[in-house]
Amino acid sequence: MEAVVKNLERTTELLAVSQTEIVRRWDKQTLDRAFQWAQYCEHVYTRFHANPTVRDILEKQLQVTNESLRTTFQGYTDITFSDLSQCQHLLLMGLLSNAAVPSSVIKLLFDTSCSRTTGGKYKDATGHCTELIEVKSARKVLSAIYLKRSTSFPGPDADVIGMTLMEILDILLSPATGGSKVGLAEKLLDNILQTCGENENFSGVVAAALLSRKNNKTAATTKMASEGVSFDFILDWLQQHHSLLQHMCSTLPIGLLMDLYQQSVRFRVTYRDILKQWGSQLEYDIGEGEWVQMYTTDGVSFKTLSDHYRSLLGACPSTKEDVERELTELKVADGDFDVGGLSVWGDLLSELNKV
Amino acid sequence: MRDKEEMERDGGFSLRRPSTSLLATLLCNRLPSPNSTMSQDQMGSMAGLKPQEVAFWLGKAVEWGQTESPDTQRDTCLHLGPLRAFLQLLLTHIHTQSSTTETMRTIPFVGQFLGRLCWDPYVTADAGSRSLLLQSLWSLYSEEPHNAVERKANQWIRNLLCQLATEEDSATHMLVKHMGLPPKEYSVKVLRKMVLLLVEEVGESCSSLADPNPRCSCDSVLAASVACVPLVTCPETAPLIGALLQRPVTCDKAALSQDFLDAVSSAYSRKCVSLEAQAVVSLWCHNLASLEGAVMSLLDSVLSNPASTLHNLENTITHSLLPKACSQQSSIFLIVNDIFRSMLVQVEGNQTLLSLVHTFTLCFLRELAALQPQECVSLKAFFPHTPQSLLAPLLTHPSEMAQEVWPEHLAWITASLQRLTEEEEEEEGNRGQCGVFEAWFLLVQCADWLEVASQLLVSARLQACGPLLWLLTFYHHPTNRGHHRIQQLVAAREVWDHLRSLFLLSAPPLPADRLQSLAGLMSAVPQQPSLDSLLVVSLLVNFAVFSHNPLSGAREIVRMVVQQSGLVREAVCVLDVVELRLNRERASSSLTDRVKPRTRALRGTLTHMAQHDTHTLTAQHDTDTQPLWQRWDTHTAVPGCSTNQTL
Repeated sequence: MEAVVKNLERTTELLAVSQTEIVRRWDKQTLDRAFQWAQYCEHVYTRFHANPTVRDILEKQLQVTNESLRTTFQGYTDITFSDLSQCQHLLLMGLLSNAAVPSSVIKLLFDTSCSRTTGGKYKDATGHCTELIEVKSARKVLSAIYLKRSTSFPGPDADVIGMTLMEILDILLSPATGGSKVGLAEKLLDNILQTCGENENFSGVVAAALLSRKNNKTAATTKMASEGVSFDFILDWLQQHHSLLQHMCSTLPIGLLMDLYQQSVRFRVTYRDILKQWGSQLEYDIGEGEWVQMYTTDGVSFKTLSDHYRSLLGACPSTKEDVERELTELKVADGDFDVGGLSVWGDLLSELNKV
Repeated sequence: MRDKEEMERDGGFSLRRPSTSLLATLLCNRLPSPNSTMSQDQMGSMAGLKPQEVAFWLGKAVEWGQTESPDTQRDTCLHLGPLRAFLQLLLTHIHTQSSTTETMRTIPFVGQFLGRLCWDPYVTADAGSRSLLLQSLWSLYSEEPHNAVERKANQWIRNLLCQLATEEDSATHMLVKHMGLPPKEYSVKVLRKMVLLLVEEVGESCSSLADPNPRCSCDSVLAASVACVPLVTCPETAPLIGALLQRPVTCDKAALSQDFLDAVSSAYSRKCVSLEAQAVVSLWCHNLASLEGAVMSLLDSVLSNPASTLHNLENTITHSLLPKACSQQSSIFLIVNDIFRSMLVQVEGNQTLLSLVHTFTLCFLRELAALQPQECVSLKAFFPHTPQSLLAPLLTHPSEMAQEVWPEHLAWITASLQRLTEEEEEEEGNRGQCGVFEAWFLLVQCADWLEVASQLLVSARLQACGPLLWLLTFYHHPTNRGHHRIQQLVAAREVWDHLRSLFLLSAPPLPADRLQSLAGLMSAVPQQPSLDSLLVVSLLVNFAVFSHNPLSGAREIVRMVVQQSGLVREAVCVLDVVELRLNRERASSSLTDRVKPRTRALRGTLTHMAQHDTHTLTAQHDTDTQPLWQRWDTHTAVPGCSTNQTL
């Protein structure tokens, strides 16, 4: 552990140095070594991010190093534990924006002579930026190919993040990795919500995380135990962040909601509660002769709501009766009139019975 | 107009992506338009860059940067080849200039032009264009800037590169950071995911032939193939390239773009793309030029280094994937063999080429045997021009038959060939020698039977040697030009007699006269129909390997005859072939036990000779003044050699 702490300190210093005049003397060897240390730190992050004890030690060390570096280098930006996963990126940013870096070193980063190969744990920095440009350009080119499924929801980017989120939760919540760390898992999701807000991106990621189990059937058979835990954990967390849940249910294509509905009994309850909430938010506009959202903006229209119910009835025959009974009960509670415009549930039922 | 002034001051470099109006201003002020007249000075200074061409590409760069419509994207993909050529010209021009200041004077548009292209993902996705762009930028970089323009240019280049490498969506970046994913790893994962989704979709075959479906995605497959032109060398997108190539053609809208096929083909020939074997076969089915390229590359690699490749010939051939492709598609087999035929006719028909054709056929037959029965086509589809009676007897490998029936089988083959040659000689003048040529070509393909014939001649009795010698003579002298076959047969018989008496001796001394006349038979006598020395060497080596005389005697005979004739390399080659065949056939252990030490010792002798007489290594095989291929009338159309054969 002592060695890891020491190495971390050295790499943090290296990152600070990469933004100073000292880099004037850098050459290929220095550059490669710098990138290898950065990769080492990324590895340290992957290895210990779910281990509170080690993480704590490393975080403390980072604080100490940051303090001393702050006094040495003007305008120094602290390195946090989560920055460790981005070490190569930070190093690269520092170097590219540092005018003191010799052009020969920058040229190495943009080298085009070497062909890309996969594998090899620590690879040198030659062509690093060329690869970044290549991959980024390829993504842009492919995103313009309009085939049917490639434009489906969630997009590949949300999908990758969602899968990763699920993997992290699996590790944090699995009893096999030293006891459940619900606290860490909650902190992670809270942090994301805090910094990223309830934007489109995050609700897409959460949806992708929930859906990743369906898409990844091979993983499902091997990690059955922990995956259910992660899935339920996200649902529980969503219950506490109701507006994000609502946002997710209103933006996710109905087909995918049905997948989740069929997959999880817990989600069924959650989803039907949301539908009931949406319904209760609708008011009858006598002038227009239709149900509208009058006092809220986070719900859905009457038409969308009936679409959701229609899919629900079609998707899962085993719960069809339940849903119909529920709607009838709600209608009865509203007075059980067979006249339009008095109960949204009554009107929903007659709308659903039309087909 | 502030922009314009800034541009003038900066010498054409701007940190931001140039606005269209800015570039237009620049174009109006700085660029020779196709219609404007240029001064001599300007013409001279832009040497190599034609004004029209420059205007065209600047126009394209503006056009591509303006809109992101499918049409402009398509246009970019379809212009990548010529763009690379232009960028190469530009780079060459920059290299000829003494400084960036000088470059800016002669081609003031260069900064704007390169800058625009750097932000076009279709251009930067293409490996060739990307490399040329980056090289051009670096060649504009001044290690020791002399003035403000050069300093500004340096700064601009560094900033541009920094932006190119690190530009990203900040909202996503935060999410990625929370997940502890390094940005590069994230980017690669997203790309792989996109590829995976597209591969699944491309793989779904459309059944619109049976059920015309206006909403089938086949036309978007064509569009996808165009978009993939810049991506053919990207390792992450290789599965998509493969999926596009292998997409079942079930819809008339599902064609792949020719530019895409050309790009893949070029990348494959430069070994810049890793495709699965099946995707390569599909590529060849789509694109005849790439198939021809692959065959030529195989021929090139084998023929350019004959000495070192005979032993790993089989690996080289298998690795080329051509035998696999041939077994799956008879049309590919026909084309490959057409190329072999014309090589045998046009290029020097040397031993290596003959070995190549023979080994290739062995590999092909092995692949064919490995196919599932339902995938197999009848052999006739692979050999449409070959006399059918010979097909099965020759394609049957000697190892598939009991050794006792070899002589009988060979006698039958010889009789059939004799009949064929006689028939055609009678009809000569009417229809050339198509049948004989095809029969001979099949014999080359199935040369194991010649090896067997040579081996059998070592122990053959007088009555049995006739057909075997005829077969060998026919193989080495397929045409009966000048009606020398009878003389050649007599010579072959004479060689065999000499060898037999030499190898029957159980003790020295060796009869000098016999050795002398044997060596004489191998040396060239101009203007006289002589026997192919390879035939003699082949018989000599087979006698040395398979006869029962003492090893020391055999080594001595080989040493003396080979030394006198200077055919060390040829002898080694024959020995290789014998060894390879024995290994391949897994000959009976008693034979192997006896023969292995002999071949090893003979190899020692020959290697020793080669080392001590380096000139024999390069000695020309000039016994035969008329190489094999010239013995075919090149004016006679070789059957199946039509070049317009399509798949």
